[in-house]
Amino acid sequence: MTAAGGPRLAALNEAAEAAGLVLGEPLADARAKAGELQASAVDAAADDAALRRLALWATRYTPTASAWNAENGADGFFLDIEGAAHLFGGEERLMADLSDRLENNFGLPARLAVADTPGTAWALARFHAAPSPVLSSGREAEALAPLPVEALRLSPETCTTLRRLGFKSVGALLDQPRAPFAARFPAELLRRLDQALGRVEEPLVPIIAPPVYHSLRYLLEPILTQEAVVAHAKRLMQTLVRVLERDDVGARALRFCLYRVDGAVAAVDIGLTLPTRNVAHVARLIDLKLDAVAATQEAGFGFEAIGLAVTLAEPIPARQAELAAVAEDIGDADRTERCATLIDTLRQRLGPQSVRQFAAITSHLPERAEALSPANGEASAWPAPEQTTRPLLLLPRAEPTEVTALVPDGPPRRFRWRGVTYEVAGSQGPERIASEWWRDPLPFPPPLAVEDKKGAPTRDYYLVEDADGHRFWLYREGLYERETIAARWFVHGLFA
Amino acid sequence: MLAPAAFPVIRSRAAVVEELRRLLPRLEGSRQAVTLPFGLAAIDRHLPQGGLACGSLHEVVPDDGGTAAAFGFIVALLARVARARPLFFVIPGYGLGQYGRLYGHGLSALGLDPARLILVETAHRRDTLWALEEALRSGAPAAVAGVIDKLDLKLSQRLQLAAADAGLPLFLLRPAQLLESSAAATRWRVGPAAAARDRFGLFARARWHLLLERCRNGRAGEWMVEYDHVAHRFSLAAALADPAFSRSTGEKFVRQAG
Repeated sequence: MTAAGGPRLAALNEAAEAAGLVLGEPLADARAKAGELQASAVDAAADDAALRRLALWATRYTPTASAWNAENGADGFFLDIEGAAHLFGGEERLMADLSDRLENNFGLPARLAVADTPGTAWALARFHAAPSPVLSSGREAEALAPLPVEALRLSPETCTTLRRLGFKSVGALLDQPRAPFAARFPAELLRRLDQALGRVEEPLVPIIAPPVYHSLRYLLEPILTQEAVVAHAKRLMQTLVRVLERDDVGARALRFCLYRVDGAVAAVDIGLTLPTRNVAHVARLIDLKLDAVAATQEAGFGFEAIGLAVTLAEPIPARQAELAAVAEDIGDADRTERCATLIDTLRQRLGPQSVRQFAAITSHLPERAEALSPANGEASAWPAPEQTTRPLLLLPRAEPTEVTALVPDGPPRRFRWRGVTYEVAGSQGPERIASEWWRDPLPFPPPLAVEDKKGAPTRDYYLVEDADGHRFWLYREGLYERETIAARWFVHGLFA
Repeated sequence: MLAPAAFPVIRSRAAVVEELRRLLPRLEGSRQAVTLPFGLAAIDRHLPQGGLACGSLHEVVPDDGGTAAAFGFIVALLARVARARPLFFVIPGYGLGQYGRLYGHGLSALGLDPARLILVETAHRRDTLWALEEALRSGAPAAVAGVIDKLDLKLSQRLQLAAADAGLPLFLLRPAQLLESSAAATRWRVGPAAAARDRFGLFARARWHLLLERCRNGRAGEWMVEYDHVAHRFSLAAALADPAFSRSTGEKFVRQAG
């Protein structure tokens, strides 16, 4: 940690503590105390990443895990275990399990506390004498009273001022009138106090978006094979479907989490084109995605828990059953759904950008007149064609070509493209397409006359056909004598 | 040997052939003869059941320099497929390579509504085959088309089976250099031809030189067709520019060629 007056100590291990070193001590002093001290610079980003990884692992207990930010000390995380504790046989059992796993999997001794508010839990975890206290509801003030003022997560300056004024414990603050404190101290003092006592909500910022629906399964024996994982995913989805059906919604986005025995977590996000409750479809998508995951992640000693969460739910029409296996006689709704299913499946294997459809854009420039957008399974409207002379194949970039023409602003007679000379047997045009001067960066103020502008030159498009019937879309860039005297020619597309 | 009893009314050789045409597909076990006719007797005569069979694989091979024409032919066929459902076109990322990409306004100009078309881009040939099969087996599209660089007999049989199970037509564009035997129902060789002009000399309709190279249960043939993008209709190209002569000369041309 760098600070005024040279580097200081930011963290200590047990040996260093035993040697009598103190947090915040200048490094030079520490070296004097302990000659064999090994120091390394603080890597805040790596610490943060490690904490997030740990918090992600902790989502095996509850979907809402929130890693502490710098204000909270950045060395722990909150878990919202409301409604999750009973799965482990109570809050004490959950804490014992968490503590064991932290110790065994990661080698981390941990201090844990359960309380109604994050502020009190934080204070108890840091300053309570007992190892893992569980505070029952409504006793926050009582529990906080004996703790030092640092337990309120205040800035060091505020703490120092409070101590100078004689407020050593939280209890001393609790009975005081609020108004003088509000006037003399930063707002954080009362805010932290209120948060700890539950008078003000303290929203947790979860490390991953909390799911709408969540289903988790702990396995007695770790599983290794993809088939087993998919089979369990199927069962998880079946439990989710019941809840989804009750609320008349379908899943639009899913997150599938695999908790490895050694504490690593593999999370797979799955997006769906249409909201679905189809178990087989979801299982198939997970299977496809696992093919990709398997390439980068190793199963190690297996997965001990798997979780499936619906992160985005949308209403779907009530009429939806398992897809009929028969191909005949399917209605429109079924068709849309099949199409969405197919698009999802293709996307899982080929990548999110692989399935696309055309979207028209109002522009005169051919290369700007359309875009490929991700397909959503529904046909969008396409404007009626204004011009029928549009090539079937458009080159990604217009390619320069050498053209012989009778007159500088006339149609081409012969052109050479990609090493082949084509004799033009017939041509049609020109179709004049001016540049979109309002898009191109222009000097300010914009020139008055169009001829003066510095934008891209005007193009004259010709449809030309050679003697064999190959049809090309050529254009001449620049109006002769007005924009240029040596016009350049380009091949821009091929006609069917 | 054909027992006369099986054909109680044999009037002529033509009737026998007609009867055989009707019976043969049943022997092969194809479910029903849903076809995609060209609407052009000259071509449909050559195809079993008078049209491109729906549940089969159809190969389109571009002639020298005819890639754009071959694409046009596939697009024209897709445009003729019944409207309701989307069409899937599987194109490898490297596939069109030097020919650029399909252009929506160009599809529209050929009579295919681009909004119906869903493009699938793949990275490997393996993915292309998988995507084609997946699209067929899902039963969602009305037709599937694709571009593939290499296809051996086994893979083509697999695709043919998938198409037959789904009852959907599959159009595959293959390069002429890497042709192997395949299980496709038809193989078309498409080349460019001088476009039809209207009376003002403007390019009115695309023309292609079609060669039906292979056709299971049918006959090979060769035609010069033009495609009307407004009516989605194929017609035989007039040998002369004057439309008044087109009917008779076109027929004659067919007889010579076919």
